[in-house]
Amino acid sequence: MFRKLLLASLAVALMAGSALADGKKYIVASDATWPPMELLDNQKNVIGYSTDYINAVAKEAGIDIEVRNVAWDGILTGVGSDRYQIIASSVTITPERRKRLDFSDPYCEIHQAVTLPKGQSIKSLQDLKGKKVGGQISTTGIFVLRNSKVDADIREYDDVGLALRDLASGRLDAVICDEPVARYYANKRKEFENKLQIALVTDDVEYYGFVVKKGNTALRETLNKGIKAVKEKGIEKQLMEKWMGK
Amino acid sequence: MPEDKPGTPATGTGAGNIHIMVADGASIPDPREWRLINAWSISLTLAVCALVTLCVVWPQPYKEILIYLSDGLLVTFQVTLLSIMCALPLGLLTGLGRISRNRLLNLVASTYVEIIRGIPLLVQIFYIYYGLAKFVQVDSMTSAVIAISVCYGAYMGEVFRAGIQAISKGQAEAARSLGFTRFQTMRHVILPQALRTILPPVGNECIAMLKDTSLVSVTSLNDIMRLGRSYANANGLEFEPYSIIAIIYLIITLLLSKAVSLMEARLNYYDRRK
Repeated sequence: MFRKLLLASLAVALMAGSALADGKKYIVASDATWPPMELLDNQKNVIGYSTDYINAVAKEAGIDIEVRNVAWDGILTGVGSDRYQIIASSVTITPERRKRLDFSDPYCEIHQAVTLPKGQSIKSLQDLKGKKVGGQISTTGIFVLRNSKVDADIREYDDVGLALRDLASGRLDAVICDEPVARYYANKRKEFENKLQIALVTDDVEYYGFVVKKGNTALRETLNKGIKAVKEKGIEKQLMEKWMGK
Repeated sequence: MPEDKPGTPATGTGAGNIHIMVADGASIPDPREWRLINAWSISLTLAVCALVTLCVVWPQPYKEILIYLSDGLLVTFQVTLLSIMCALPLGLLTGLGRISRNRLLNLVASTYVEIIRGIPLLVQIFYIYYGLAKFVQVDSMTSAVIAISVCYGAYMGEVFRAGIQAISKGQAEAARSLGFTRFQTMRHVILPQALRTILPPVGNECIAMLKDTSLVSVTSLNDIMRLGRSYANANGLEFEPYSIIAIIYLIITLLLSKAVSLMEARLNYYDRRK
């Protein structure tokens, strides 16, 4: 009896699961620790440039989406195992990531920035030699630093806010992360006011793309169509002004 | 090596003997188990074989991961050893405080245990590293050792207390009537006997501690867990690095539990010969 009940409820759960998937509602994963790109508001909703952007894209492309907050550590593998279909989390398009993921067209252009305590300066990444430099685990900032072969003591944090907090409290000498994020923390957060400044912005350009599962060309094309419309209608410009100012 | 020596019965044989059976901790192998094939040797052989096979058959990525993780191993060991060294005395003091007749000491020790036992270790690590950064700043290694030893000091305090209380009152009374002071009684009569009961659960706590050091990866300390996560993220592999990490932890834990069991066998020398 008990076993029958269990089986029946399992079957119901399975059907419900597949029914949801058929409803064509795409789940979007964002790591909301990357302001102003993705962050949580006081009601625990994910907001930010990427979030507004993907919502606009979904509207233009005529698809239904739901944004969920997912930790950055492991976010890229989740799309491969179908836990969500899209990642809108400031993922920089890199050749290595291209090998295992498919990217939409770029939706934002950024540089890497090195944040230092106020009053200090560096001329190039090489000046970080021997310094304690923090960043968020497996973000392009860390990769840039590793690839530049600077002999720095690299510390990886679960989220960039913790790294900046350690910089402000003096346990780190520098933090490397995407420039808009560095600007947001250095200029818009009260606790870092007059403590941090952006000392160096790299020349290399990086592009953010939305991530879909490798081989999911249909969804990628849909997103690209949406992105094109968002750009042509000038929505992108509005969003830039809204989230990054000037 | 005599492989099939008839296993000596685990319980005392003398009918009227007073025999203190030391309960084995869950993960501590039985020190009287000397046969070649037992749970411990099977686990160790499997773990080592798995590690070697993976690294030889698929050097890419397994061997690469192992090399990548090797600096982390040192950090993990360092955190574990330092924490054990701090937690043991702290546990002993707490245990003594818990049975102390001095009301103040007793209250302090009991409050410490109640508070620390009720807060998850991860929260304590965050609290000491990030929370207290406003007032005092300690580097990640120090804060990890402080958090872990404070947490485990509380657990061990309870183990010490139980071990001391398990020694029959008669022992203390006899020592006192022979003119031992309270301190001497504790130092020369009670504690040496309690040690035998305490060792297996303390060994267990140390093993649990080793495994819990993986939590300190949140303070950007490059232990094997942190390096493994970083490797997993950078290369888009999840299964491979975490398998290696699991095997490494298993091997270290097995070696540690063997060490505890050997120590236990030494302490129970006279019991065994009965």
